[in-house]
Amino acid sequence: MTERHVTIGAAAELAAHYEDLVRRYGSPLLVYDPAVVRQRYAELQRALPDVALYFAVKALPSEHVIRTIDALGGGFDIASGGETELLLREDVFGRRTIHTHPIKKDAEIRSALRYGATTFVVDNDYELTKFVPYRSRVGILLRVSFRATDAVVDLSRKFGCAFDELPGLLDRAVALGIHVKGLSFHVGSQCTDATKHVEAIEQCAALMQARAETDATPMSVLDIGGGFPTDYHRTGLDLEDWCAPIRAALDQLPADWQRIAEPGRALVAPAVTCIATVVGKSRRDGIRWYYLDEGVYGSFSGQLFDHAVYPLQVLRDGPVEPCVIAGPTCDSIDIVAEHIALPELEPGDLVIGHEMGAYTAATRTRFNLLPDARFINAEALY
Amino acid sequence: MADFEETLYDAVAQKFRIDKLYFENKTDHQHLMIFHNAALGRVMTLDGIVQTTEADEFVYHEMMAHVPLVAHGAPRHVLIIGGGDGGMLREVAKHPVETVTQVEIDAAVVEMAKTYLPKHSAGAYDDPRLKLVIDDGFAFVRDDTGHYDVIIVDSTDPIGPGEVLFSDDFYAFAKVRLAPGGVIVTQNGVPFFQPDEVTTTHRRLVRHFTDATFYCAPVPTYYGGFMTFGWATDATELRGLSPTIIHDRVERAALETRYYNADMHGAAFALPQYVRAAMQSE
Repeated sequence: MTERHVTIGAAAELAAHYEDLVRRYGSPLLVYDPAVVRQRYAELQRALPDVALYFAVKALPSEHVIRTIDALGGGFDIASGGETELLLREDVFGRRTIHTHPIKKDAEIRSALRYGATTFVVDNDYELTKFVPYRSRVGILLRVSFRATDAVVDLSRKFGCAFDELPGLLDRAVALGIHVKGLSFHVGSQCTDATKHVEAIEQCAALMQARAETDATPMSVLDIGGGFPTDYHRTGLDLEDWCAPIRAALDQLPADWQRIAEPGRALVAPAVTCIATVVGKSRRDGIRWYYLDEGVYGSFSGQLFDHAVYPLQVLRDGPVEPCVIAGPTCDSIDIVAEHIALPELEPGDLVIGHEMGAYTAATRTRFNLLPDARFINAEALY
Repeated sequence: MADFEETLYDAVAQKFRIDKLYFENKTDHQHLMIFHNAALGRVMTLDGIVQTTEADEFVYHEMMAHVPLVAHGAPRHVLIIGGGDGGMLREVAKHPVETVTQVEIDAAVVEMAKTYLPKHSAGAYDDPRLKLVIDDGFAFVRDDTGHYDVIIVDSTDPIGPGEVLFSDDFYAFAKVRLAPGGVIVTQNGVPFFQPDEVTTTHRRLVRHFTDATFYCAPVPTYYGGFMTFGWATDATELRGLSPTIIHDRVERAALETRYYNADMHGAAFALPQYVRAAMQSE
């Protein structure tokens, strides 16, 4: 496991701000700052200027985020009926969405069509045949598997056809009268560099161009998925630098092709801060333990499901000692951090989790029937 | 206000400016809007698909009502399935029929249409010959005991609430509800973009009816050229009436129309080759 970034102490003004939020809204809290999403969106647009951005709603399915992306004119990557319901409630027209779950029930396809999504992702022959009844209405993206060995989250094992299966699937689609308008891939999430993205872009582009010579309706959409990282380890990661090889690879594509990306983590991770409170402390086998009111069954769920290691911050400064930070549930797996060194904390002290917008609240559970962390919008405080 | 962009097809879409939003409902997993557009008047959309506009609804409603009613010659009892906006009822009511039974699944649609699309029904909901039934159209044709000379299936798109009204079982039950010499007509989409709908409906209708075909009319806001209406009956003579008979009947009926006339009646059954091909497709 990669080392966790820990900040000891905070500027007085910042500490007062966190304490004030907890006084007003309780604890635990998830504080969403739309300004950060706007800034990250602009960075991604600069990094990938010809790419249409579709926010992966699954990363943080919140109406507040939907409104921020909507105002920026972004699109939405959806994967379930619940996500379409959310977008419908927020008045986002279906035209601005793509449905990217490779395996769907028929009812799911129908409800997505009724909502207005007409782009669907498919990665196998069986799934392709599900679209025969809707072939006059849809445009299909075939998802190919490109596994980045350095990805923290592998997204090419469960989904995506092998590259050499593509010609067969394309022929099959033609035979079924289904229009495949392009290819998509997900190399995995939180990759160290963009090598695999570049390889995938080059291979997909070569195949798309070769097929354009023979196919009656050539493919013209390349969906490069997501996987854009966020700076969990405070290494000074620069999104524009990270994307530069991708941009260079995309520049080689025909100008009239549509380029699509599905950023989730990169847009929302840094936009949410978790504020939790120490509710108890003990000493076990000589090691100091602190118990928070939020843990891995709650907002820190991404530490298990998403393999994320969120930067932590305590407001108190002073000499440090090794300690364990545990969550509030009865389960012994509910440990937020081990092998870290913190100053002596007291019940009531705040522990701040940074970079906690992506796959945090989205994947929390109902275990112990503990209340969800309250989600507040920093631009809509009352 | 945002534009309305239709989501019927992935590769092409028509876009309408929303000049004023009158009504929007997003319950029951569906999205209904009624808005004003300078060129089209009031427009009703459901789930991203144009349902009807004040500017061109006459083409649809006149052709779907008058063609079967005039062809029948002496309709006494008419059944409308769907048609909650009231436009079909308005056209049917122009004929000297004895009863009109309209089966609409949602009472709220009727009330909403009376309020926001008043020109569609134009008072027809007050017609004493009307029996308005709030029920599922499928359940009605299955459970009802009446017989009808003309059945008009004014449904929504098959992907959505209208789905069962395109099913094989629905056609079988509807046939039982037809009086001898009766005819059923159905809304059947735009075949230029949706040839499968013609293929599927034709395959189902021929199982139940001696004469199963389509007739056409171009409804401008149903993008893609002609739309098709399903035509199904065991009274094979209804389709082959001489122009003289049709002219006589239309003249006698003294219908006030903007699209339908005796010439259009006969011409509507002439099918483009691509529609014929879709009918014969497996």
